[in-house]
Amino acid sequence: MTDLTRRNILTGAAVTAAGAVASTNLVTPAAAATPAPAAPSTANAKPPAPAAATPAPFPELDPKELQLFVTLSSGLTGISPAKLAPTVDPIQIKRDYFNAAKFIEKPSRTPNPNFPKLMDIMRAETDPVVAAAKVMNNPDPAIMYLGRSIILAWYLGVWYDPDLLKRYTAPNQPRPVPVDRVISPAAYTQGWTWRVAQAHPMGYSELRYGYWAQDAQPLSDYIA
Amino acid sequence: MGNFRLLAVGIGGVLGMVGLLNAMAFAQAPDDDINPPVANCNQIPDTNAGDKPPPGKFVATPINAELLTSGQPCQQKVSTSGLADNDTSDKKDEGNAKMANLQRGFDFYSWLTFIAMNSPADGKVIGKGPLPGGDAPTKWEALQNYRPLANVMLANGDKPEWGTRIVPDECKKLDGPGKIVFQLGEEAFNQPFKSGPLIDQDGQFALFDILMNRPMFDYIVKHDLYSKAGQEKVDETDNAKFPLGRLEFPIGSNPSGTAPGRMGAIMLKVSYRILDPQKDKALLSQFHTSDALIYFPGPPATKTGPVCVEKKLGLIGFHVGHKTNFAPQWVWTSFEHVSNVPDAEDVASGHLLPRYNFFNAACKKDCPAVNDVPPQPWDPGETLKFHGNYRSQVIRKKMVPGFILKEVADLNKSFRGTLKGTVWENYMLLATQWPSDHASKTDPLGAPAPTYLANSTLETYSQGRIPLASSSCMACHGNATTHHVPATASDFTFILEKAQ
Repeated sequence: MTDLTRRNILTGAAVTAAGAVASTNLVTPAAAATPAPAAPSTANAKPPAPAAATPAPFPELDPKELQLFVTLSSGLTGISPAKLAPTVDPIQIKRDYFNAAKFIEKPSRTPNPNFPKLMDIMRAETDPVVAAAKVMNNPDPAIMYLGRSIILAWYLGVWYDPDLLKRYTAPNQPRPVPVDRVISPAAYTQGWTWRVAQAHPMGYSELRYGYWAQDAQPLSDYIA
Repeated sequence: MGNFRLLAVGIGGVLGMVGLLNAMAFAQAPDDDINPPVANCNQIPDTNAGDKPPPGKFVATPINAELLTSGQPCQQKVSTSGLADNDTSDKKDEGNAKMANLQRGFDFYSWLTFIAMNSPADGKVIGKGPLPGGDAPTKWEALQNYRPLANVMLANGDKPEWGTRIVPDECKKLDGPGKIVFQLGEEAFNQPFKSGPLIDQDGQFALFDILMNRPMFDYIVKHDLYSKAGQEKVDETDNAKFPLGRLEFPIGSNPSGTAPGRMGAIMLKVSYRILDPQKDKALLSQFHTSDALIYFPGPPATKTGPVCVEKKLGLIGFHVGHKTNFAPQWVWTSFEHVSNVPDAEDVASGHLLPRYNFFNAACKKDCPAVNDVPPQPWDPGETLKFHGNYRSQVIRKKMVPGFILKEVADLNKSFRGTLKGTVWENYMLLATQWPSDHASKTDPLGAPAPTYLANSTLETYSQGRIPLASSSCMACHGNATTHHVPATASDFTFILEKAQ
């Protein structure tokens, strides 16, 4: 059993998200430890490295699997499916997050073997909160941290590799700040952390001119 | 309620709710005196969804000559049900289907609007006019229907009058029947946010004009919004003048019960290329054309002037904003000429037209950078010829989802087929942007669908899919303000900023 409730998930996710927000502003340890390279002389200049190959496009997704992902995401984030993925949804951010969770981007785009297990957990449950609890308390850390990455994706619009999250939380070990990746330009504007905070990301707001001089709408308008 | 998303989830269709919500809208309408009843709102929907057929039995409204005389819609007539519901396979995405059905309804509305506004001003059928390609002066060019911005925001903040045709002294010697007067200001040659002019393959400036219909004009006059001084005095807390506590242009609505239909505020932005009556003679039957007296008022509006020149203009872009029921963020329709620019996919595949207005398909070496702005200076002289040999090299980027592109392409094929043999078969809808969640309390933009939309002649340099940077009708116009101090929202129009 678990004491994981929707409210706890929401609170926990917000805290997790807040921690991760801080991390996005930090230089990764590897980069911080490495001195800046000296500017190469023209005489010794090497030809530029070939550009990284464009990854293959994501395959056509299965609407039923996508819906399952949204349902599980609702349990994980504590936000209703209708808010996460409105029925008439021009932004379709769920697709970006679904693909981020289903595929491992580097070194080349490949299916994440843990994703089907996650879907199986949701398939076996009717209550997304119970399914979310099974994910977040899963004995297999690969499942648990994939669930955590999905929470972070919804709240921050950023993908954190589950393996790196696992290392970040390992006790008595160096804590490398996980490398993050803004999932898409749209994801930058869609992080739920902004709505939970009744705010907006830097440089982007849908609100009308002069909004900064007015009170924000009640939290319930954002997340209920 | 009254929210497309909520309707989609809870009711499954918009059509059934229109009557109730119309009544609510009418109860609030404070400006009925300037938004008169319309006897013949075009209420033809894009499908038979109103009959509630079972999946597999949705039928598209025939696109034929009957639609050419069916009139102008006072508001969209859309439904979350429709042709996409004929897909009963396991692979159907319910959410996408509802959005696709709504989008098609809005796009159908856009085509009806385009046909009605571009029908001859004399009441004849579109494409049956006396000029090459069945062309004729259109309804929106007739001053009894629409007024250009320069006739509304007058010098010194003078009060405009609806019936007055303003011909500057410098243009009088060139004036004659059927000629339009086109006054240049920076917004006539420079794109939004002063992002740059657009130069055609003959090295001439593309030109832009803004017009409005009478309900919009009358609202501006009624509330003293035609001058900076008038805007500064606006008191939005005056409940008698502004019942919603903000500027709110009149709303278009279909008739409901005893309440009549009303057209609401419409604003129009058009783009032109200059045609040479002799050299471009073969092109005249491919464009809607206007004989224009182009007036350069002189500094500060234009570097050159005061002077007036006569030019033949070919319509290349047609962008309509219509304030309607369920769309307080307005409905945004964008058309353009089919030979303006190629799609990026056309360029990649080599499926190109022999010539474009703003792309040189034959250029293989030292071509201007694609979608780049021309070199400064940008102010046109009276020849309207750009300096040097610069020609814009523009490609249309893919900005809307594939299912919308396909739906619009199908709709364009049908409507253009109906207009075959006329100048109007050369125009295509890009898409319609509409608010998918118009009543949202946290997103005053109403979650625009599609998120991005650009016309290659009007938003050339802001194509893409990057939040804030890329063109979105509602996101851009949502930033428009008045001259009031502190500035207040101007209900999605930049027209008020032009007051003097």
